Amino acid sequence: MFKYYLKKTLRNRGFLFWSLIFPLALMTFMKIAFGGLYDMQNSIDPMKAVIVDNGSGAFSENFISLMDQLSDKSGDNYYFDLTTYEDLDEAKASLEEKENEVLFEITDEDTINIYLMPGHSVTSSCVSKAVCDSYMRNYQFLMDAFTMDPEGARKILDNMADGISYTKEKENAFSSDPDSYSWYYYSTLVMGIFLSATSGVEIVSDLRADVSSEAMRLSVSSSNKSRMMINSFLARFIPSIVIVLIQLTVMHYAIGVSMGNEIGKLILFVISCIMFSLGFGVICGLLFKGSANTRGNKTTAVVMISVFLSGEMTSQLPGVFEKYFPIINDINPATLMNMAFYRFTVCGDDLGFYMNIGKITGLSVLFLLIGIFALRREKYASL
Amino acid sequence: MSDVIKVEGLVKRYKELIALDHLDLKVKQGEIYGLLGPNGSGKTTAINCILSLLEYDKGTVTVFGKEMTPRSYDIKKDIGIVPQDLALYDSLTVYENIDFFCGLYIKDPVKRKQYVQEAIDFVAIGDFVKFKPKKLSGGLKRRLNIACGIAHKPKLIFFDEPMVAVDPQSRNKILEGIVELRNSGATVVYTSHYMEEVEQICDYVVILDKGNKIAEGTIDDLKNMIKKSEIITIEAAGVDEDTLESIREMKNIFSVNYENDLLIVEAGNGKHNVIDIINILQDKGYMMKKIFSEQPTLNDVFLELTGKNLRDE
Ligand SMILES: Nc1ncnc2c1ncn2[C@@H]1O[C@H](COP(=O)(O)OP(=O)(O)O)[C@@H](O)[C@H]1O
Ligand SMILES: [Mg+2]
Repeated sequence: MFKYYLKKTLRNRGFLFWSLIFPLALMTFMKIAFGGLYDMQNSIDPMKAVIVDNGSGAFSENFISLMDQLSDKSGDNYYFDLTTYEDLDEAKASLEEKENEVLFEITDEDTINIYLMPGHSVTSSCVSKAVCDSYMRNYQFLMDAFTMDPEGARKILDNMADGISYTKEKENAFSSDPDSYSWYYYSTLVMGIFLSATSGVEIVSDLRADVSSEAMRLSVSSSNKSRMMINSFLARFIPSIVIVLIQLTVMHYAIGVSMGNEIGKLILFVISCIMFSLGFGVICGLLFKGSANTRGNKTTAVVMISVFLSGEMTSQLPGVFEKYFPIINDINPATLMNMAFYRFTVCGDDLGFYMNIGKITGLSVLFLLIGIFALRREKYASL
Repeated sequence: MSDVIKVEGLVKRYKELIALDHLDLKVKQGEIYGLLGPNGSGKTTAINCILSLLEYDKGTVTVFGKEMTPRSYDIKKDIGIVPQDLALYDSLTVYENIDFFCGLYIKDPVKRKQYVQEAIDFVAIGDFVKFKPKKLSGGLKRRLNIACGIAHKPKLIFFDEPMVAVDPQSRNKILEGIVELRNSGATVVYTSHYMEEVEQICDYVVILDKGNKIAEGTIDDLKNMIKKSEIITIEAAGVDEDTLESIREMKNIFSVNYENDLLIVEAGNGKHNVIDIINILQDKGYMMKKIFSEQPTLNDVFLELTGKNLRDE
């Protein structure tokens, strides 16, 4: 019977999409969006760029220092021939006259506007966007990291001393060299894992006669319910592990995200997060009302909200919560999982890692115990 | 004959609603037992209580002579259920569905393979074994639903409204199949709100309304309970008053009308009404063109007992 539960999982397109394809697509997209510098390194002719600095403080200083690095003729990353203009209109005119290819305007709101000359090349638009994107992301990330975890952030900063360390491809993903993009990849991985909560809902609909008529057939059969429960669980647990392994492999070899150098912790992290997600799904499946499908959709919504609040799309959010409502970070499962990963890969913060894993594991055990109790039931007050 | 199912004083409440009101049922070995009643009369609730799937407020249920509980696996192994709602996995093929549900009972793979094949043949779904249920027509889905319920060769089978959304050809095949199951020794509980099916196959019928048993017996018993009669219509020209009078004087005849060459006779229950009337007309040398006889139906029984029709239309 395990065979059929497994087939059901592997033929579940929604599950495969949300847990496997979607995170991989997102990672690929991110790789293109802010990993572009890796690929273009040393392979393009420098382009004429102009900076208009209307900003102030650390934001503009750091950007200009980054641009200086990128216009260093003797460096590895020689992308730009840089000039500075005072006046924006004058700078724009230089684009019109094709004296310069690209214009970076640093605004006083700590944003960067890009202007391109008419008939610009694809490369110039890609490179300049990639530079800005990665700068914006790193800058935000650093600022957030300071509010969330000053210790860890300082370590990153040390590693970024030359300002462009993040443009260097990792040679060994299991090195302890931290990667400041990691947060986004980690939280995407965590999102994929957490979305396997829908599998937890499937376990409920496999076994609860008041949720699905197929489970009603199971309930009135002479089959051993405990064994069916184990089958149903394993048929969700094992594919999830395989999927996460695929993702870790892609992250490691294709994207080059650091994963720390301790396989043991990585395995502990993966197993406890999958257990947690399945347990969470079981609880959602039991609490929500409606058909099995409706329950699954509601669970997906809850997971996505949690993932959003953990900073999957805007990495500032957890920093904001840390300041104003720290409780949200403490109870948001996606943040707990993200921070666990982040702590052991980036910060090497063992205590923090074990604290988070401890919370996650404790909750999974609780959820799964409640699940076992509720799913063993064979008689219902209402169907 | 021993009772396969014995239900006594079964009460099931949903808050204020009394879904089953002190229901007593006795199902005998080897019969097709019909539970007939309109939607919401409590048929499914009764089955779920008998199966110990649903908690009930009062009453006792014994199956195969033993008290039925959720953990009565020795009883459950001999029960098959064809639920009202299709209970099929969309991501598994026809074959895999039958094999899965059969596998809940039959662990031996060799035996199971044979049983699954027999179930496939039984509902004649062999051409579709590799299909997913989504690709099947409504009738085929119902047949698959049946195959999943009977593959393990249960001794007691519940069919809960198996004919909803089934085309007429499939319908007769399925009904014949159910009779075949009975003939091979199984006991069948069959619920429906279509009187035609129940009249066609059931050996014993209980009529339910609002959780109450309002009548029970064989089909003939039930029809005999009501005064409403057979209506016989014969087209014959120029029947004279004497002849009409002699028909009126036959026993079992309630009324005789003759208009526009149409003779309409209301008769009480009796097997030979039509033949007796035809004999009289033939003796007197009348030419008869069309002859109809409308037998009373279980709907008439239901109508007379409750003042309602079985179906709302
Ligand atoms: N889960 C439930 N909660 C509340 N009322 C219910 C529930 N299930 C059934 N009922 C009510 O119980 C009555 C009997 O329903 P049911 O057994 O499904 O009827 P049938 O199978 O004869 O159509 C109906 O009035 C129905 O509305
Ligand atoms: Mg029903």
